Amino acid sequence: MNFSNTQIHSETFPNIDNVILKPISKQYIKIIIFNKILKFALVFGILIIIKFFIKKEIIQDNYWYLFSIVLLFSVLNFITALLAFKKRKYAIREHDVIYAKGLIVNSITTVPVSRIQHIETSRSWIARKLNLATLNIYTAGESGSDLRIKGLPLRDAMQINDFLSSKVNGNT
Amino acid sequence: MEILDFSKPIRQSSKGILIIFALNTYKFIRRFFVIFIAFGLSLSKKKSFAFLSTNILLLIIVGILISLLVLAILKYWNFKFHLTNDEFHLSTGIINKDNTVIPKSKIQNVNIKQNFIQQLINVVSLNIETAGDDKAEIEINALDKPTALQIKKELFNTTNIVETESHEIKNVFFRVSPKRLLLEGLSQNHFKSFAIIASFVFGLYYEFKDYIIELELQEQIKKTIHLDEESIFTFIILNLVVILIGILISLLFSVIKTVITNFNLEVIENQKTIEISKGLFNKVLLSLTPSRIQNIIIKTNRIKTYFGLNTLSVKQAMVNAKQRKNFNIIALEKDQVYHLINKLLDNYANQIKAFKPSLYYKRILIVEMLFIAGIFNIPAFFIFGNSFWLINILFLIMSVLYMHFKYKKAYYKINDEYITIGSGFIDTVTVIFEIHKIQSIEMKQNIFQKRKQIRSLNISTASQEVTIPYIDENEAKIICDFLLFKVESQDRDWM
Repeated sequence: MNFSNTQIHSETFPNIDNVILKPISKQYIKIIIFNKILKFALVFGILIIIKFFIKKEIIQDNYWYLFSIVLLFSVLNFITALLAFKKRKYAIREHDVIYAKGLIVNSITTVPVSRIQHIETSRSWIARKLNLATLNIYTAGESGSDLRIKGLPLRDAMQINDFLSSKVNGNT
Repeated sequence: MEILDFSKPIRQSSKGILIIFALNTYKFIRRFFVIFIAFGLSLSKKKSFAFLSTNILLLIIVGILISLLVLAILKYWNFKFHLTNDEFHLSTGIINKDNTVIPKSKIQNVNIKQNFIQQLINVVSLNIETAGDDKAEIEINALDKPTALQIKKELFNTTNIVETESHEIKNVFFRVSPKRLLLEGLSQNHFKSFAIIASFVFGLYYEFKDYIIELELQEQIKKTIHLDEESIFTFIILNLVVILIGILISLLFSVIKTVITNFNLEVIENQKTIEISKGLFNKVLLSLTPSRIQNIIIKTNRIKTYFGLNTLSVKQAMVNAKQRKNFNIIALEKDQVYHLINKLLDNYANQIKAFKPSLYYKRILIVEMLFIAGIFNIPAFFIFGNSFWLINILFLIMSVLYMHFKYKKAYYKINDEYITIGSGFIDTVTVIFEIHKIQSIEMKQNIFQKRKQIRSLNISTASQEVTIPYIDENEAKIICDFLLFKVESQDRDWM
């Protein structure tokens, strides 16, 4: 049978469109804001250092242009990061794990459970404070094909971890 | 051939001392290369280095060499291995004793290699790869060839019986002729060689910047190429000559590189596996096992098609980076390529309908080119002054060709078991892989594509990520669903 492009197939196979994707914990937006502020603090720190320590005329004359461009980028970056938060969604199906993210570039990655090598949950110190966890799902593929679902409520993360672990170990 | 007993711990051939010594010396020199050159330069100037006289320096060098030799002997003496029924044991280490045990079933690959020095004293090295990281790999430096082959056979003894049986019959399927090797070298992508040479030259320049500045070379160049409106013509001619020399050197480089790495290329067909042996200074013997193959890539280009030259590269899972580039077979005829593919992939069908990416892909390609052209315009303005826009004519031609060929060569075919994806601009690249070897699928779409309802699909296998670029949204979903269904419904392992 050759793969044909008719509509028939889409009804016989489980459809990715019918999956209800679940948003990650609302708490995670705090971590995003915190990380962004940290990043911006670093960038502006460097800018301030440039202002006071590098006395080259070209830089000093155009300093405020540079500053406003960086500021504009930072603000845009911050806004997109906040808006993109709503796009971070995941779903666990019987046979695969789906993770969607990205506002400007939206991507939906699917990893079949039978291809998972191992699973790991990790928690940064803020995540521990907010009772969140990151679920890392590793495949044997290129490093880009690993899934990293951030900002899951700890209980959900543990549940998914146990569920997937038992499936992965049961298969082999 | 005498049957050797591997059940008791044995050392490698005593020639191994020489190999270890040579290897360590080479590593040592490479590590302190820059220091050596600095030494040499200051020696040639002052006849001495700091407070050290030439004699003491010589003594130091001899001392280093002797200690390296002693180290090599100790290393050799402490390097023992033996085989049990289903394990390979290795003990190494002079002060810190290391004991490595590898179950035979975990061995991924056994490669036999021979570098230049090993060829001189007629030994080979045996390389055992496991599924772990690069450190888990074992290399025995000096064995005579029959012993190495026997060990290889024994290592696969419990894991794969069919394979060992077929080892006895040697059926050489393909042997490259010198003429085809030369043609292959000539028709390489010379841009690549040029890039390698250019980066090498720049690297050298960077390292010896100070010395070059001392020679006041730059001043002289500035004097000879004084830029004004009249001399711009001579400047262009000069550049053309430089480019021509560059092309010639890269041509020579490609040919030499191709001949050295692929000298005496042989493809041996066994019942289940295929073996490749090749190399002039570094001889390698590799075997391909169909179950471990992830992607197969066929590469050719306009000139190569004319001569009937195709390159077949096989990407396997769990092969270390150094070895990866060796898994390609050059200078194959088209029907030979398909013969090998049919051997490695069961009932692969090529005669199915090919689908093209959406026309949106053309637009993306043009935007890509415009972006590059835009960047190039800035330096061009500084070099050529007001006539800089002339380079845009060149870019326009390039863009049209780029768009045309990239789009023309892009296609995808999907059937029940295989995905075939075509791409390429100068090269024509065909990637083939089995659906059940897919590790993950990613659908990508940016906000501009959302309005046009276009999506790209990134499909990862254990060795490569391939992209089906810019197809209709619904089609992408159907393909995604279909592939996931295939992967998840059949309980087939990817390795």
